Order: sequence, then structure tokens, then C-alpha cells
Amino acid sequence: MRVTANTFPDTLVDQLSQLAVRQNRLQSQAATGQRIQLPEDDPTAMRRVIDLQNESKNLGQYQRNISTLKEYAGASFMAIKSLEKICDRAGEIATLADDTKSPEELRIYAIEINQLLEQSVQLANTKHRGDYLFGGTQTDKPPFTLGPVETNGRVNSVSYNGNSDLPQNEIAEDTMLTVQVPGSNTATTGTRGLIVDATSGADFFQHLISLRDNLYAGDTETIVKTDRVNLAKDEENILFHLGTNGAIQSRLETASTVAQTRGNSIEVLISNEADADLAQTLVRLNEAQNAYKAALQSGATILSRSLMDYLR
Amino acid sequence: MLDLYGTLSLGQRSLQTQRQGVEIAGHNLANVNNPAYTRQRLIIQTSQAVPSAIGPQGTGADGVAIQQLRNTLVDRQLQGEISTRGYLQAKQQALQYAQADLGQEIDRQSATAESASASEGVGAQYSLAEGLSDLFNNFQSLATNPTSMAERQVLMMKAQTLATQFNQVDQRLGELRGFLNESLQTDIDKVNQLVEEIARLNNQVFNSEVNGFGVANDLRDTRQAKIEELAGLTRIQTVEQANGMIDVAIEGQDLILGNQKIDSLEIHDAGSGQWLARTRSAGQNLTLTGGKMQGTIDARDRDVRKLKEDLNGLAALLIDEVNKIHIAGFSLNGSTGARFFNGTHAGDIEANVDLLNNPALVQASGSATAPGDNSAALAMAKLGNATFEPLNNQSFSQGYGQTVATLGQSLSSVNNQLTDQEVVEKLLKRQRDSYSGVSLDEEMTELMKFQKAFEASARLINTVDEMLDTVISLKR
Repeated sequence: MRVTANTFPDTLVDQLSQLAVRQNRLQSQAATGQRIQLPEDDPTAMRRVIDLQNESKNLGQYQRNISTLKEYAGASFMAIKSLEKICDRAGEIATLADDTKSPEELRIYAIEINQLLEQSVQLANTKHRGDYLFGGTQTDKPPFTLGPVETNGRVNSVSYNGNSDLPQNEIAEDTMLTVQVPGSNTATTGTRGLIVDATSGADFFQHLISLRDNLYAGDTETIVKTDRVNLAKDEENILFHLGTNGAIQSRLETASTVAQTRGNSIEVLISNEADADLAQTLVRLNEAQNAYKAALQSGATILSRSLMDYLR
Repeated sequence: MLDLYGTLSLGQRSLQTQRQGVEIAGHNLANVNNPAYTRQRLIIQTSQAVPSAIGPQGTGADGVAIQQLRNTLVDRQLQGEISTRGYLQAKQQALQYAQADLGQEIDRQSATAESASASEGVGAQYSLAEGLSDLFNNFQSLATNPTSMAERQVLMMKAQTLATQFNQVDQRLGELRGFLNESLQTDIDKVNQLVEEIARLNNQVFNSEVNGFGVANDLRDTRQAKIEELAGLTRIQTVEQANGMIDVAIEGQDLILGNQKIDSLEIHDAGSGQWLARTRSAGQNLTLTGGKMQGTIDARDRDVRKLKEDLNGLAALLIDEVNKIHIAGFSLNGSTGARFFNGTHAGDIEANVDLLNNPALVQASGSATAPGDNSAALAMAKLGNATFEPLNNQSFSQGYGQTVATLGQSLSSVNNQLTDQEVVEKLLKRQRDSYSGVSLDEEMTELMKFQKAFEASARLINTVDEMLDTVISLKR
């Protein structure tokens, strides 16, 4: 091939610009630690990274869902636990109240039961982050209200203002869960009610009212025959809810761990797609730099010499 | 047989010839950096011999022609390759703009799972992909905490951010289209100007060659450069006539016949702002096949348009699907029937301003009286993972991912094609250069050669002069 005056400079410029492009690319890979940055770098990997990042974000969201739900479950647990204690005490009183007790003693028990009633209504109206926990989806009103005070100074009814619907939440893709419990469920289907429940026959407030009235009346026979049995049903129902709550919390914990593990493995997948192998990148950058230097040096030597140097 | 005066004239012609050689070497040297230049050579022939007693005797040499060392085959090939490169370069440029307009990058430092929350608001990259997943994730947050005003407010702000992103990308792509149209107009003006110049050069070549002064080398060089410039803009067909003029046609439409400019190009609107080229006099619509102009048109009508349509489709579907659920839901106040997004496509999507002003109006509940119900919020959150037929049975995020990958794929393949094309073109250019290019070493040698010959010729004249003196002094 005939090499002309412009062959050298043209070729040198081409080679230098190619090497500059390569150095630039390797340098930005080394600086960012990323193999791909723009869609043109590797469209299919870009696509997978977008999908994976979306999945990773979704998992992060599920974890946030789970931690919010854990709060709710925790708040519910505290309320149910306290109700259980009240229920225990009421059962104890129902057991203590027999023929051996004087009417005066029974009256004192009745006053205690009345206190317990008011306390438990207050517990059933527990709020978390401004929402009533046991009103179903009717979270803006207190689920339970004490009825009017009768002439004898007593309250004879507690009404339920909530509903038996529950919000469902997603804790993993297509895995739904509800952490809440309705205050009352008069149907034998759906989530059992905390205070009133048709399945177990629980109606805690009404049973407390009945026990209290029977204590006032000194009707120990009914207390033994009916109230003790009824309160046992309430006890069973509340324990059922405690157990369920525990199960839900452990399920949330598991779901959170799964999401965390999955998030970590997705991170590895994204890294495989997008991250540069730093050792390899630096070695190649070094190569490119050496080639660049060599091209500059040889180019400078060749270009500065010509026949002209040897002519007079 | 030559007499002394004949020999004197031989020396004088020889001087002339060698001087011409020096001049041509000088001309070559002067044009060493002119890319359009083709090196020239003086063709030297022995002069007419005269008969002598011992046979025909030489009478020296004459310069008979100045020859251009041009390989028309390489020129022809190069012309086609230049059109292809012009096409790819224009396409690459347009797609790079589109890629920039889309603004989708991977920024791992700010987007890892652990650092996602930590890096929010510290200049982390935020594009439509993030906007889409944030929207659905905020619906999730709302579903988990349906009465929270904080979640509602964040949701509406994210919705507004996403809508603005759609607006901006759509607007930028619209501007890109306008920019590509403008560049097409500029190219057509340039084509017309080049056509005029080539026709004029044809005329000059013809005029200077018809008088029998040999080939008009330098005019041909200039014309070839103009033809190659034209080929970069659009693929052309050229035919060289016997009289040295070159006819130029685009897609079978004659633009130059001989020294006549037959037609020029103009823009015509093929409907809805889709600018295309056609011939002005013949009114023929042109379907170009190569060159910068077609690269611009292809990028505009295929990739940029598809990108814009895809994003519009995505936005329209998002508006429809979210609104469908939202309209049936109930707000904290029990109101219903409000839209979540206003608008119909990427250009005009916006979050409902009433909801933005009062996030309590976000209709997350499935019941007018139960604010703790989250069924509407949950249904909207689930849209994030749902697949839709218009998105080829993919989710919103996947649909967007496909859009990005499609653009990336087009750009990446253009990049590769262009690299290949540049290699081909470079090889051809080197080939041409090795045949037609000026070599300084060569010209310097030529220069010395002719200089020495010039000196020798002068010595001849000197010698003949001395001989004449000798002859004249015989008489004394």
C-alpha cells in the first residue's frame, strides 16, 4: 500500500479518538462502578434492571406495609390482653359470688363489675394513629357507646356502632392479610367479633351487665348457672383472639424476613446485570491508557521526521 | 539530423518540460491538505523523431498531459457508503436526543434497596420508572393506613410528580420532532444549493474540456467533493456523460442533466406535521433510501414516534385504570365520583387539583360511611402488578421497561452499524488516499528529479552555446 502524507495523521487521529472513547467509557465505568448507565449501553440488561428495581421497590413497600401492620397488631394485642385480664377478674368474681357471700359483699362485687364494664368499653374503643381499632372499617367513630344511665344509676346496654368489615392488606404479591378484629360479628361467618361473636356465643358487655345486675339482686343461682357459663364463652373468645393476634404477628415477621431476603437476592441480581467488574475494568483502562500513550509517542516520532530533514 | 539550433531548441523545450514538472510537484505540495484533491502527474513523451542517415533520431521530450490519478470505482463506492453513514449518523443523533429526553438512567449508588430511603432527596435519579413504582407503592401505603392524611398527601404529591414527568417527556419529544423537521428543512436547502453548484461545475468542466485543453482536473475534484457532500444528505444516482458532465438523480427523479438544473427539492406536509421531501417542479413525492435526510425522517417517524405513542398509551391506560377505581370509591368525607387523574394522554395528564388541595378527598374507601375501608386504595395499588392487554400483557412498569429497551435497542444497533460503516468508509478512503493522495516524500523527490533535469537541460544549452561559439570562431 502506498502511504501518503495524510495517511499517518489520519490514521493516528482515528486511533487516538477510538482510544479516547474507550478510555472515557472505562473511566466512567470505574468511577460509577456500573457497566451500564444508559439504555443504549445494553438494552436488555437495562430492561431487566428496570424490572428488578421495580420489584425491589415493591418489596420495600411490602416491608413498610408489614411494619405498619405490626404496629396495628401490637396495639390490638395490648387492648385484647387487657380485656382478657378484665374477663379473668369477672370470671373470678362470678366464681366467688355464691351463697356464702353477704348481700353487702355481692353489692361491692357489683360495683367492681360496673367499673370493669366501663374499663372494658374504654379498651374496646382503643385508638391507634387516630383510628378506632375494633370498629371494623368504621374507624372514625368509637365502636362502642354506653347506653343511657337508668334511674338506678346503672347503664343497661352497650351499643356497637362499627361494622364487621375489615380492611385487607397486601404483605406480599397477592398475599392478603387482615390484622384487625371487628368489635362485633353477629353472623357466624367472617372474622369472629372481639366483644360480640355469634360463633362462640360471646357478648362480653351484655354478660357483664347481667352479672352485675344479678349481683345487685343477690341472684347467685343465675350467676352460677348462666353468668359463669357465659363469661367462660367470652374468655374463650378473647383467648381465641389473643392466639390469632400472635399468629398474625409471627406471620408478619415471617413475611418481613422473606421480603428482606428476597430484596437482598434481587440486589445481587441487579448487581450482576448493572455493576462493572472493577478489577477487570481497571485492567482494561490501564491497557487503553498504555495504548494511548504508545500511539501518541510513536505518532509524534513518525510525524516529526520526513525527507525534508535530509535535504539541503 | 538536428542542427545546433535544433539542439538548442531541444534544450529549451526540455527546460520547459522540467519546469512544468516542478510546477506540478508544487501544485501537489500546495494541495497536500486539501481533502478533495487528487494528485496529478506530468505525462512526458518523446518528441517527434527526425529521420537521419542512421535512422530516426530523437528530438527530446515534451509534456503532453497533466494526468489525475483518480480511481472512479472507489469514488463510486465511497459515494454509496457516505449515504449510508449519513443515514446512520442522523438516526444516531436523533435517537440520542430521544434517549436524553426520556431521561432514563441507571444510578446504582442512589437506587440500592438499602439506600433507597436514605438517598431520597439527595439528587437521586428520578425518572418515569421510579415515578410509576412510587405511585403504586403509595397506594399500598394508603391501603395500609387509609385514614392517614400524611399518606394521602404524599400520594397526591407523587401522583403530581409522575404526571409532570409524563408532561415533560412528552413535551421534550414534541420539541425533538420539531427540531428534526427543522433539520430536514435545512438539509433540503443544502441539497438545492449543492445541486445548483454541481450543475454550474458541470458547465465549467464542459467548457474547459470542449476547447481541447485536456481534462479539467481541479474542477472535477471540486465537483466530486460536492457530489460526495450531496450523497451524505441523500442517496443519489450519478451517470458520467461522454462530455465529462455528470447527471444527478434522486430516487429516479432527475435533478441535473448535463449543465442544466432540472428540478429541486421542497418540503411537503404528508399530514399532521409529518414533513417529507418532494421534487418542486415534478411534484413527485420522494421515498428516500439513504443519507442524512432519510435518517432524520426514519428516526422521527419510527423510533421517536413509537416512543411518544408508547408513553401516551401508557399514560392513557394509567389514567383510565386508576380513574375507573377511584371514581367508584369514597373519600373520607363520603364524597364519590371524582377523578384521580385529569387529562387523556402523556401531554395533559395531571393529578386532580381538588385532591391535591384536600387529600381527604382521595377516594380510598369502598363505602361512604366506613373511612377505615381500604378496598379502593388496595384495588389501585394492585394495578401496579396487574397486566394489561394494551401493554402486551405486561404491567405498567414492565410496559415502560419495554419502551425504554426498544429505544435502547434501536440506538444500540445504530451505534454498532455506524461503527461498522465507519470502518468500511475508512478503508475505502484509505484505499483512495493510497492511490490519489499526495505524498510529501514523493513530491520532494519529484522536485529534486525535475530540478536536476532542469540543471542538466540548462547545461545542454550551455554546451550548445559553446559549440556555436566554436563554430562561429572557425571563420576567423
